[in-house]
Amino acid sequence: MKGPVYLNEKTGIVVIGATGREASQVIKESEVLYPGIIKAGVTPGKGGTNELSVPVFDTLSDAVKDPKIGSSINTALIYVPPVSVLDAVMECLDGGIKVLYIITEHVPIRDSEIIYQEKVRRGAVIIGGTSLGCFVPSVGRIGAIGGKDPSIAFKAGGLVIISKSGGLTVTTAEMFKRRGWGTYCALAIGGDIISNTTYADVLTELKDDPNVKGVVMLGEPGGSYEEQAAELIQAGVFKKPVAAFISGRFQERMPEGVAFGHAGAIVERGMGKATDKIARLEKAGKKSPVKIAFYYHELVTAIESLGVPRDFEDSTTEYVKPLYSTLN
Amino acid sequence: MKLYEHEALESIYRKFHIPAPKFVFATEPNDKVREFIEKEPAVVIKSMVLVGKRGKAGAVKVVSDKSHAISVFKDLATREVYGEKSIGALVEEKLNIQKEYYLSVTYSTKDRAPAIIFSEHGGMDIEEINPSLIFTHVVKDVRSVYPYQIRKFLVEIGFSDKEMLRPLSELIVNVYRAFWETECRLLEINPLVVAQVGDKKKLVAADAVVLLDDDASISPSVRYGARGGMGRPLTQREQDAILIDQGDHRGKAGSYVELEGDIALMTFGGGGSTVTAETAIEAGLRIANLTDIGGNPPAEKMYKIARIILSKPGLKGVLVCGGTASNTRIDVTLGEGLAKALDDMKAEGKLDPNLIWVVRRSGPEYVKGLKMLHECFVRNGIKGEIYDSQLPITEAPIRLRELMIKYIGYKPEELG
Repeated sequence: MKGPVYLNEKTGIVVIGATGREASQVIKESEVLYPGIIKAGVTPGKGGTNELSVPVFDTLSDAVKDPKIGSSINTALIYVPPVSVLDAVMECLDGGIKVLYIITEHVPIRDSEIIYQEKVRRGAVIIGGTSLGCFVPSVGRIGAIGGKDPSIAFKAGGLVIISKSGGLTVTTAEMFKRRGWGTYCALAIGGDIISNTTYADVLTELKDDPNVKGVVMLGEPGGSYEEQAAELIQAGVFKKPVAAFISGRFQERMPEGVAFGHAGAIVERGMGKATDKIARLEKAGKKSPVKIAFYYHELVTAIESLGVPRDFEDSTTEYVKPLYSTLN
Repeated sequence: MKLYEHEALESIYRKFHIPAPKFVFATEPNDKVREFIEKEPAVVIKSMVLVGKRGKAGAVKVVSDKSHAISVFKDLATREVYGEKSIGALVEEKLNIQKEYYLSVTYSTKDRAPAIIFSEHGGMDIEEINPSLIFTHVVKDVRSVYPYQIRKFLVEIGFSDKEMLRPLSELIVNVYRAFWETECRLLEINPLVVAQVGDKKKLVAADAVVLLDDDASISPSVRYGARGGMGRPLTQREQDAILIDQGDHRGKAGSYVELEGDIALMTFGGGGSTVTAETAIEAGLRIANLTDIGGNPPAEKMYKIARIILSKPGLKGVLVCGGTASNTRIDVTLGEGLAKALDDMKAEGKLDPNLIWVVRRSGPEYVKGLKMLHECFVRNGIKGEIYDSQLPITEAPIRLRELMIKYIGYKPEELG
């Protein structure tokens, strides 16, 4: 099968909350880029309307029972408001969907916890909340990741990019693309406190995937998901090269509790500091191929020094000239 | 959002039957305070601030000599604790403390579950307790939490006081329920005391640290009022910024935290903003603010936040920096919103011509957007460089540093 569990050639998507501003935009763009990957939309009260280029149903149950497309649906993309996310997830899980993306930001932590426990009980794969989606250039994409013209950032290659930040997922893919590395799979896992898919989950999932040549991991302060990845690597479960950048060292110069960025990106009672995460990953790097970038852009040299082969030629020049200058 | 101790006592402890000392909260020594002090043999007076470690700052005092109580109250109700001004003082009965436990409930990212953390060695900061004396009970199934499970946990960790086993297990479940039902991210009681009351021993929660989930199903700011996280009141510019997003859900531009530096940041996206700010600091630039603009805001939102950011006195440079947007239109935000703000500020004589600018941005319509911004720079005599994503995002602050040194002799901070 081509592509990882998160997004592969069998993926058929149903969008929950399909007629909303962001969701309908994503459906429109995806139809142009990867026609047919989105099978249906669900918005209560809008069933049977022709608002979108895909069929719209009132309930998920109607969508999966549809004789034409029902059996092709196996992945849900959730765009409903924060307080409706738990309901949407339960609707999907009860409807037999096994891979879910929660794009919605600001899901109540309590609801995230209930979702996580249900996910574990039912053996489903859930990415998010606060995910931007997934991109597998050889297969397609889920969500808005890469926007209208993802070719700016994405080209098929051997890197796996795992990031809490959706924006940085794309920015990183583009930085590497300019320098000669393409993407196998870019996954925006979101920055919530209770994350349904963590770095360690992805590394475990992809440890034997021959398409993976190296991993770029973008972390943040707060929680312990970066440390868990370090433990997994140190235990020898994941053996391929990993370049990591942990943002947020500057938070440590500010009063504790300053909230900036994701809900989970907060240092509480001395726990979850960026410097501790860096130290933990460096420790894992003593015996495993792990490199930490001090500056974000040094991820490129980290991947290079770990011996991850380029997928194509480096297109950059030594010194980047400004597009415009009004100096001199 | 963090609650003041008296808020937690009034709205959470009472509702969930968590026993607290008798208390009164006031901003000034009114009749209630005087009566309370009169009735109690001795009292504990605490400054009401959000910052922790009050005891170490001398902002918690035990008063047994009643003639001093009012002057202590006046001092603690108005003093600054680690730079944060008290909003009043809490007066509590002084307990006859036999033992001090530590108890908290929070989310553990290790287990991805609520964790009940308990130690028989409370009273000091959790960081100071020997880790081998701290025990954690993970709530693996949030659908069923019973005192018997807690008793099993307490017996397993060798909890020493058999007499307290049942009352403590029941109290812990009440605390857990308070945490869960009020949608906390942390509920900490330190110390949870065993107090001697007559010939009986009684559990009393002698402190309350409550952090509510900002994303809770009912926003805590609706109930308790908006609250800055910096331990200081919001500045005028911060208040103005909050208004930008109110009643308009198209994108967000209203996050603005004011700092002391001289480099204005106009940064985009959560992750992009963080790495840009951080690289700027590492490069020795003294940043004047944090911001996080995203979700494709309309031009008028960008216009407003740009004016707020640029209105801070003493700026020397500006960094406009974002990654490769998936959604945010670069022509709308930079080409229209920011450019109009600059045009208007120039016309009003409010634009400092000596500022050095570096712009780095990519995403939808970036070619058009960056060209529009460049034309705006030319017509307003703004000095700087504009890049697309050929320049890695975090090289932008470094480039600004070079230009600032070269053109205005900026002296970057030396970081140790």
